[in-house]
Amino acid sequence: MTSEQSQLGDGEEIAEELAESQRSISIAEFFEKNKHMLGFGSKARGLVTAVKEAVDNALDACEEAGIAPDIYVEIQEAGDYYRLIVEDNGPGITKEQLPKVFGKLLYGSRFHAREQNRGQQGIGISAAVLHSQLTSGKPAKITSRTKGGTEAEYFELIIDTDANEPEIDVEETTTWERPHGTRIEMEMEANMRARNQLHDYIKHTAVVNPHARIELREPSEHMKYERVTDQLPAETEEIRPHPHGVELGTLIKMLDATDSYSVSGFLQSEFTRVGGKTSDSVIDNFRDRHFGREMSWTPPRAHDPADVARALDAAVANKGAEATAEFADRVADALDGYDRVAHHELCDLVDDVADDIEDKHDVTFGSTVRGNACEAGWAAIVGTGDALGVDDADEYEQLRADLYAVVDEVTTTQKDDATIQGIADRLAPKFGDSDDARHRLTRDEIREFVRRAADATEEYDDATFGETARDNVVEAIWERARRVPDDPPNVTEIAGDRDASSELLEAMRETDIIAPPTGCLSPIESDLIEEGLRKEYDADFYAAATREASVHGGDPFIVEAGLAYGGDVAAEGKAEVMRFANRVPLVYQRGACATTDVVKQINWRNYNLDQPGGSGIPNGPVVIMVHVASTNVPFTSESKDAVANVPELESEIELAMREAARELKSFLKKRRSMQQRREKQDKLATILPEMAEKLSAVTDNDDLDIDDTLARIMNNVLVERQRDDDTVRLVIENNSDRAADVEITDIVAGSEPVLPNGDASVVEMDGEWFVKWSTSVSAGDEATLEYDAGADAEFDISVEGLEDERVTIDA
Amino acid sequence: MSADTDTDADARAQLIDLAEEFYEQFEGGDVPTMRIPTRTKSNIEYDEDKNVWVYGDRESTRTAKTISGAEKLLKATYTIDFLARQLDQDRSSTLRELYYLSESWDVDEAQFNSQDESNSLIEDLEIVSEVKREDFHMRPEESGAKVMGPLLLREQTNRGDREIHCQDDVGQGGYQIPNNPDTIEFLDNDAEFVLCVETGGMRDRLVENGFDDEHDALVVHLGGQPARATRRLTKRLHDELDLPVTVFTDGDPWSYRIFGSVSYGSIKSAHLSEYLATPEAQFIGIQPEDIVEYDLPTDPLADSDVNALESELEDPRFQTDYWEEQIELQLDIGKKSEQQSLASYGLDFVTETYLPERLDEMGVL
Repeated sequence: MTSEQSQLGDGEEIAEELAESQRSISIAEFFEKNKHMLGFGSKARGLVTAVKEAVDNALDACEEAGIAPDIYVEIQEAGDYYRLIVEDNGPGITKEQLPKVFGKLLYGSRFHAREQNRGQQGIGISAAVLHSQLTSGKPAKITSRTKGGTEAEYFELIIDTDANEPEIDVEETTTWERPHGTRIEMEMEANMRARNQLHDYIKHTAVVNPHARIELREPSEHMKYERVTDQLPAETEEIRPHPHGVELGTLIKMLDATDSYSVSGFLQSEFTRVGGKTSDSVIDNFRDRHFGREMSWTPPRAHDPADVARALDAAVANKGAEATAEFADRVADALDGYDRVAHHELCDLVDDVADDIEDKHDVTFGSTVRGNACEAGWAAIVGTGDALGVDDADEYEQLRADLYAVVDEVTTTQKDDATIQGIADRLAPKFGDSDDARHRLTRDEIREFVRRAADATEEYDDATFGETARDNVVEAIWERARRVPDDPPNVTEIAGDRDASSELLEAMRETDIIAPPTGCLSPIESDLIEEGLRKEYDADFYAAATREASVHGGDPFIVEAGLAYGGDVAAEGKAEVMRFANRVPLVYQRGACATTDVVKQINWRNYNLDQPGGSGIPNGPVVIMVHVASTNVPFTSESKDAVANVPELESEIELAMREAARELKSFLKKRRSMQQRREKQDKLATILPEMAEKLSAVTDNDDLDIDDTLARIMNNVLVERQRDDDTVRLVIENNSDRAADVEITDIVAGSEPVLPNGDASVVEMDGEWFVKWSTSVSAGDEATLEYDAGADAEFDISVEGLEDERVTIDA
Repeated sequence: MSADTDTDADARAQLIDLAEEFYEQFEGGDVPTMRIPTRTKSNIEYDEDKNVWVYGDRESTRTAKTISGAEKLLKATYTIDFLARQLDQDRSSTLRELYYLSESWDVDEAQFNSQDESNSLIEDLEIVSEVKREDFHMRPEESGAKVMGPLLLREQTNRGDREIHCQDDVGQGGYQIPNNPDTIEFLDNDAEFVLCVETGGMRDRLVENGFDDEHDALVVHLGGQPARATRRLTKRLHDELDLPVTVFTDGDPWSYRIFGSVSYGSIKSAHLSEYLATPEAQFIGIQPEDIVEYDLPTDPLADSDVNALESELEDPRFQTDYWEEQIELQLDIGKKSEQQSLASYGLDFVTETYLPERLDEMGVL
């Protein structure tokens, strides 16, 4: 290759020319080229991204320090530019670290960590700084005060785009009213065209961070989101990588860096979920790839012409006739007990028998002798070697017969005998003549043998031997081949050998390993999702579901979903879909996101929602929220706007949404039945009084009170007061088909009520007595509270614990 | 008239009793309920004592628990009020008038949506109060049919009592049966039997041919499904004058039901079978057998005819050997004939050949 290249350009000139134009690219250029990927593609978008990066950083910093976040975002018009200010109450950044955090791209603490965090690459905030500096030419102004620090540090800095290092313009100490925290101020070219996305971002952030207080002040609006819980997200713990999640480059780096000597030690110490057993399985799989397996053959039986005993006898010299004969016979006898035998198994057998003979006959079977015996015995088993006097025509006859049986077993009956014989005949010499007399072969080598044999058979015998048949034969042979006992190379050797590393990686991927632990994840948890939704949406119903952790490519992930329905949620048009990844709202590229795809695929009609055409985003007063938490959320691009369509993830998203939607369904069903109940009640409340009135007229009787009848009709719980001189009786009659837990407060005025000891209690307040009584009345049952009160007592009763539709009060 | 006033007072009292019942249910905090027998063919059974078909034990319940039930009870209450007042004032109205009259009721939910609804409510009230609608002073729109034959009777009319001879005092159309035939008193007769005829055309043919004269027959025109008054009169002719009753209709399933309602009582008014049905009535024809025997002109059975015949096979009223044989024969030949098809043998064939032959077979002549 090298020679060709230099010929091309007629000597060295071209290379020199090329070398002249080759120089390191400054990060400013890199940024310019890639700013759309980083979310700074337009001026409007750039502002949103800058806010997002600064807020994400602020939240992460606060949470890491265990501080409930208090974040203030301000956007000001500043002449031709916009000024962005983001303040937090985080732990602050030390004087030494601060310039690098804001003034150096790809500097961060999280890139190497397998832990759920908002930011990961260490590009975010410094990219925002760079964006500001490139568009306005002004430095970023940063103030930070660490906890306990008496004064705050103030920096004005820009990024030296050639060196990717911070360049500090101003460095001084200052005073700041916050006891600790960080404040960043940047000016940039921008506009407010993406105001909606900005608001969405802030609002959605508030929804998934109910523990944070967030305030946004921009030229035309001021939004405040209060904290609803003091419960910070569970702290995440870093985990070692999972064997299914690493790539080759990472693996080689890890091999280079490890202190372990053996592969087993390396696997167990550097990876999560790998113990002795798992590492053994990985190493076994690695052996198959690295060394290959040894083909096993059926040893010759007593009636076969090949005679292992004779071959061994001939191979052993000067050990005394008796010892030699016994040795040969015992090995041959022992072989009869083998169904199939591989080279190393034969050698082990020879070793065992030799040890025995040594003891018994007091002779020495040295390694050369044993080696010779082993080779001779192997030659007899596979039917090669002149020593046996085998004719050329019969060479490999044993292998042929053996392979014929194998091929015949795994091919369909449609294959005629000649084809099978053809394959076996062509395969046998490939084994017999293979470079490795031990018939030690990798799967690929076996596949190649089969391919050649099959191709030749197809060509010369006019037969067909398709892919399935070939695969079956390869598989059958591979199954009969035995794993070798050789020790795997040590870590240093593997690290230095790219192929071996790759074999190790494949072996790791092939091995079943339990999913990574999920302590590294911090889901919001369903109750806080509900809380967050409740905070931002005044709806009638909320539901949320948090799934169990799953794994994709070695990274654990958890999907959560939430729903809000009814109330003040806009009823017109489509449902609002909120997407989150690691607690960060995704506000762009909705159509490209796996979350949106899954929402559209679900048949929402099953859950009593309106969905024209039976697919797509449902209509109506619904907010759908999905949160994906992972150590490595698969995004479609670096700007982290949309979650990629990964099947494992999609299926979890769907399950989470369905789980939340199931609750919605029963809510809507109940609501509908309550509505019907109300309608029925309304209707009957007009019909029955008319009927009662007419009846009184026709029968010439007094007017009727029909409340009791109505309660019974509505299967309601009827609360009725009966008075009998001084005795007051409150009767609760449950006409419904389920138990009623009621809490009654009867406010008595004018006379002090006297209660027998019981479940009810009396509290006096300003001349009124509050008789409180909680009871459970089972379906169709009745309960009575009795107490005494003077004749001039007045009552005011209230009943709680049941929907209004289900109670009739006649007291 | 004094007897009549008693009936009115009884009827009124029965209605008020019903209202009282509802009132008491409300008063006791219970759900007002009205139970009535299910009025379907699966719930009628033969009453061996009275020889008629009456309702069985199955009941359906109108209860205020449901909106529709509550509406029915409201309507019933309003109707009771109306009927009680009508009886007080000794007036009468037709079923159709009741339907329109409900429009004037002040509560929308009390008004009837269709005349079927008001008709069936009246039937409900008849059953529950055990008072006939005639005694409520409710009458149907169409009056009873006509009678021609050697019978002298006295009818109470609004204009006083009239004595009428049903051949001598009437025109070609015959004597008009009043809505309440119980106002008739039979004075004298020369009749041998009663011949009920389905169609007006055939009645006219028999009268024109002088069949009533020649055979001393009382020709009663049924006019399709006979009105209650017609059936009541027929029953009285049989019971009081001891005349055999025969029924002459078309040869199709619908006509068999006409015979059924004369003979066994109708499903909708099975509560009045004892009062309306004439179990001894005999069927003349057209029998399916006649279609074959006389080789009458026919029409093929339509699907609805076949369904009706099959449904009759399951009707307890038709579960006799005779009817099963006839209906199965008809299903077999797949044909039906009208009464008028007899004219294919000449206009006199029916009076001179068919009827005398059939009545002879039946032992009436």
